[in-house]
Amino acid sequence: MMDVQQPAKSPWERSGARHGDTALHEPSLALHIEDLTVSYEYRPVLWDIDLNIPPGVLGAVVGPNGAGKSTLIKAVLGLVPVAAGHIYIFGRSHREQLSRIGYVPQRTSVDWDFPTTALDVVLMGLYGRLGWIRRPGRAERARAMAALEQVGMAPYADRQISQLSGGQQQRVFLARALVQDADLYLMDEPMAGVDATTERQIIGLLRDLRSRGKTVLVVHHDLQTVPQYFDWLVLLNVRIIAQGPIEQVYTLENLRHTYGGQIRLLQGVPAPDTAALQVGANEAAGTGASAPGGTGAPTGAPER
Amino acid sequence: MDGLWEIVSDFTVRNALLGALILGTLSGVLGTFAVLREQSLLGDALSHAALPGICIGFLIAGSRQLWPLALGALAAGAVASWCVLLLVRYSRLKADASMGVVLSTFFAAGTVLLTYIQNHQLPGQAGLDSFLFGQAAGLLPSDLWVMGAVAAAGVGLVLVFWKEFKLLTFDPGFARSLGWPVRLLEGLLTSMIALAVVVGLQMVGVVLMVAMLIAPAAAARQWARRLETMVVLAALFGATSGMAGTLISLVRPGLATGPLIVLAATGLVVVSLLIAPERGLVWRAVQRRRTRAALESGRVLVDMLQLARAHGDESYASAQGMISAVYGADAEAALLRLEKAGLVEPVTPEHGTGRHWHLTEKGREAARRLLKEREE
Repeated sequence: MMDVQQPAKSPWERSGARHGDTALHEPSLALHIEDLTVSYEYRPVLWDIDLNIPPGVLGAVVGPNGAGKSTLIKAVLGLVPVAAGHIYIFGRSHREQLSRIGYVPQRTSVDWDFPTTALDVVLMGLYGRLGWIRRPGRAERARAMAALEQVGMAPYADRQISQLSGGQQQRVFLARALVQDADLYLMDEPMAGVDATTERQIIGLLRDLRSRGKTVLVVHHDLQTVPQYFDWLVLLNVRIIAQGPIEQVYTLENLRHTYGGQIRLLQGVPAPDTAALQVGANEAAGTGASAPGGTGAPTGAPER
Repeated sequence: MDGLWEIVSDFTVRNALLGALILGTLSGVLGTFAVLREQSLLGDALSHAALPGICIGFLIAGSRQLWPLALGALAAGAVASWCVLLLVRYSRLKADASMGVVLSTFFAAGTVLLTYIQNHQLPGQAGLDSFLFGQAAGLLPSDLWVMGAVAAAGVGLVLVFWKEFKLLTFDPGFARSLGWPVRLLEGLLTSMIALAVVVGLQMVGVVLMVAMLIAPAAAARQWARRLETMVVLAALFGATSGMAGTLISLVRPGLATGPLIVLAATGLVVVSLLIAPERGLVWRAVQRRRTRAALESGRVLVDMLQLARAHGDESYASAQGMISAVYGADAEAALLRLEKAGLVEPVTPEHGTGRHWHLTEKGREAARRLLKEREE
């Protein structure tokens, strides 16, 4: 595999060998995945994934359509059945650690015509903490309002969610994740379909999370802004193409491997690590790219 | 009114009305979740598939008490949903086609069984055919107890698991990411919906029961801005239409109860679809017209300012003919609206003919603001 050249000690480079003698497995990593395979109707969507995310990074998961980016996040959250492999969060199996994860699903995954208010959606982020049957009270409302304030949506607290714009709905989802007060945040395209102002605001919030010691992993669709926004990068196309600090992973060669030659260099723009790469138009067709150096893992599986 | 009171004080009638009240409330509350979770078709499949179960329940129990029949209906419904699942999984049929096939097969089998029972003059079968279209008058006091128990369980569950059901309906993926047993909760909710369908079969009938589930919730959705309001309104709509339909069928014996209840409920839906604020068709049409009128008035105002500026005099009076040349027949209405708002006023021209208008001080200010907005 196309692993980045690193000093062997780097935690994200460690092999998946189990240590066995402790209850915790790789506790120094926020997210540690070994040999993960997820398939959908007999087609692997993720194939033999080994992934290591150290704590405190703001990372992007990037790859063509059908690369399994959303599936990767859903697998960590236990939302899709796993064919093989292990997932650890801060050293423990992911199923025991769900309360330490904050989740921002794709905005389009829910029906925004549901009869409720922005504040009510944010309160849902506290449902896990509340436990069974208990209803949110005044303290919860105050926390939800504070989160709405943080994303600049406080004036819209009592607004019907169907009346919010796409960017506003996205920020409501973000506020819902903020009140979860998690250690690891997984976000599925939080900047899809928002205007430039909202995007700047969202990236500001993500940086704020990182400065508070949180680990943030974001499925991102815009290659150009990757080096500007993130300090960690996972290149995915059914298999892991490369992972590591942005300055080592964000190379033209790696991106070519990920997108299978569907990359066009913008004319007159220097080196790839200063951005300016564009994904070819055929990426939008969802055909996916052929994985390089492959052991025959089929690609182009549908995004779930 | 005396006649009506006489009817209401009658024992059978009170039974029937109480049943309609219970059933309407229950199906309104659970129907809200069925509608929001897009499970309307499931309700239809369940109610049609229940008919053979009702007949078999009758054949085994030998009487038409509600609980053995409901048990049979529930079992048949479960087998039917299982068949739909199998078809979707192992055939190339999609979910809607599978439901259609299973629903009609079960309904056909039920009709065959029903005619068999009727032709063989089995004892106690009188009124079994009322399960097709519903008959409120046949409700026994023991049936009411069954309905009451199911309603108490259904409404109680929704109250207890309010926040769980709400999140499950809005964003099931997020609910699972919290580690909730989403499958279990979904199963609980769907079973309650199935139970509501089953206990309503006697009053409303298998053919139309799905409308009892969907219509009150669909009408309530038009008025409600929160889930709480939607549930309460749906219960209210369900109870009202249930009691209205029942009352009419009792006053005019021979009319089946189900269709009357459903007509009352769908009447509420039509009214709600038309006039509910924000979502109603009429309401939105009026809004659109208002917005269009406001936009047009704004354009006229800006045009008049620009025309005046072109003449180097902001108090310049424009001929109505010039405005009509651009806006046609709408110009008159737009100018009158602007006059009413105190933004323009008619002036007598020094020379020339026809009506002339100029901007008032307020109108000039408004036009300047609009022009600036447009330039931004």
